[in-house]
Amino acid sequence: MTNAEPFEAFVRRYQDMVFATAVRLLGNPADAEDAAQTTFLRAFQHYAQLAASPSAGAWLKTTVRNVCLNHLTRYRARWRLFSELETGETPRYEDVLESRVSRALETEHADGVEQLEHAVRSLPDHQRIPLVLFHFEELSYDDIARTLRVSLGKVKTDIHRGREALRRLLTEDDAD
Amino acid sequence: MTPTDDDLEARVDRALRRLPQPHTPPTLLPRVMAAVDAWQHRPWYTRAWFAWPLAWRVISIVPCALLVYFAWHVPPPPAQVVAATSATRVLWDLVIAPLLPYLLAIVLLMGLACVVFGLALNYVLLERAEQR
Repeated sequence: MTNAEPFEAFVRRYQDMVFATAVRLLGNPADAEDAAQTTFLRAFQHYAQLAASPSAGAWLKTTVRNVCLNHLTRYRARWRLFSELETGETPRYEDVLESRVSRALETEHADGVEQLEHAVRSLPDHQRIPLVLFHFEELSYDDIARTLRVSLGKVKTDIHRGREALRRLLTEDDAD
Repeated sequence: MTPTDDDLEARVDRALRRLPQPHTPPTLLPRVMAAVDAWQHRPWYTRAWFAWPLAWRVISIVPCALLVYFAWHVPPPPAQVVAATSATRVLWDLVIAPLLPYLLAIVLLMGLACVVFGLALNYVLLERAEQR
């Protein structure tokens, strides 16, 4: 195969989109780079069909999303367990989350935009993933529940809690 | 959802959509191209069977065909051989026939061991190559 050069241009064209999706879903640039690499390797294996396809971007987006969710699958059982074990006796969930986001704010000396990006990545997996799928990937609540194999109620609750955690970062002009 | 929830959803949505795309690390492209190069130059035996060299495809067919043949038709003792001498018949019945299933099992196990060894070798070599 001698597709290397056109494929390099293909990677350059889509790498920002693929990496952005991966880093927001995984919350970790190193894991996101691995996921992006896996995604592009799969793209290369189907490059004959993708090269001229107008839906190459959509194919990449779906693939990177699946790669990321597969990557997280190994942690999913733990993720479910911890998110469903919350009771009144353990430290209040909101307090734990508040401290996480606060740490994110303290460690960042950048502007609000970067703080918000950092805060999104600092959210726990069970909130960040549905939040990203809803706001960035534009999936419906039903699709998210089906994709993550959790109940619709849990998706709505987790997304709501994620938004609540981000609320304090929203500037006044966001309210307009 | 309450109006407050809707308002929060809209605010968060607006704020998140304003976020710039995260910067792609400059190491991603070289990593991808190195992975593509390694994939293109992977050993023939890790590829699909149809992509194997012709000679290896032929060679791989022979033992498979033999195995299938013996699995379906365990050869009965040739009549003329059995009829020739009673000693041959005794030899066949007592030594060769009972050993046939074991011989088949040994052949299968050896084939399996070769596959495992090949995969292990490939894993070690490729892993090292990728780490360089």
